[in-house]
Amino acid sequence: MNLNLQWTWFHRLGSPRWFYQKTQRWLPWLSLITLFLIVTGLVWGLAYAPPDAKQGNSFRIIYLHVPASVVALAGYYIMAIAGAVGLIWRIKLSYMLMRSAAPIGAALTFIALVTGAIWGKPTWGAYWVWDARITSMLILLFLYIGVMALRHTYSSSEAADKASAILSLVGMVNVPIIYKSVDWWQTLHQPATIKFTGAPSMHPDMFMPLLVMIVGFYLFYAVTLILFTRVEILRREYRASWVKQLVADKQEEK
Amino acid sequence: MYFDSIQQLIYMGGHGVYVWSAFCISVVVMLALVLKPLCQTKKEFSNIRLHIKLHQVNQAAMEQEDSDAPNS
Repeated sequence: MNLNLQWTWFHRLGSPRWFYQKTQRWLPWLSLITLFLIVTGLVWGLAYAPPDAKQGNSFRIIYLHVPASVVALAGYYIMAIAGAVGLIWRIKLSYMLMRSAAPIGAALTFIALVTGAIWGKPTWGAYWVWDARITSMLILLFLYIGVMALRHTYSSSEAADKASAILSLVGMVNVPIIYKSVDWWQTLHQPATIKFTGAPSMHPDMFMPLLVMIVGFYLFYAVTLILFTRVEILRREYRASWVKQLVADKQEEK
Repeated sequence: MYFDSIQQLIYMGGHGVYVWSAFCISVVVMLALVLKPLCQTKKEFSNIRLHIKLHQVNQAAMEQEDSDAPNS
């Protein structure tokens, strides 16, 4: 009996209807906070932070490059974990989250690669170098695109979900490689600026806007994941009575 | 502000091209990430509306058929 009570939250969390209705209320607030943090972080980082002693003003790209990379990597964990939860407990919402995480992760990895390439030109003298960190990030982009593409290769969405979940779990091997690539190989890419152990190798005047941007990007990820998942819910649950009611209510409002 | 003027903020000691192009590309991609699901939501809503209408038309046709069928 007690066990049943404990598990109800888990099942409620897995209900697309519950998710759709809850996020309706969260979205405006979450979006406002996200916008505020990203605008603050960008103005602070691009216009107010002091330039780097060695790299000059080109270092300001860090305020886009690092947050995008950090969240692109964290997003891969979210996608793979959602896939695993879907495989184990067969929770529909979990697969919808996994599916929605792929395009967002791909876009953020793309931002990380492009801003990194632009930053590479004034710093290293080349847009692209086959360095361990950059190559493993490119593999991350391909993994995200692979998960996105798998959907179209299966006629049944259930089989596509399972295949995507397995691909994202297998691809997880790449994530620790990306994290450790700057330590394992002697490469051009600079080592991590922020570490969980020890102080950041950055002056607080430069570090604070970066922190604001990283939090802002995490929230941006949450907002877009919610938006994409809501579309996925509508697409898959269009036969559900609550969805029909929702559409009818919306029509009346007009 | 760190820079003395807006011109310097744009120029950034010669690095402005890099910083601002990185900025523009990121902003465009992020805007697309927000706009795409919003457009899709609208599309899904009209799809579902169509689905409901078709269902109603079907239902009506079937009822019509039932009432037209001769009683045996």
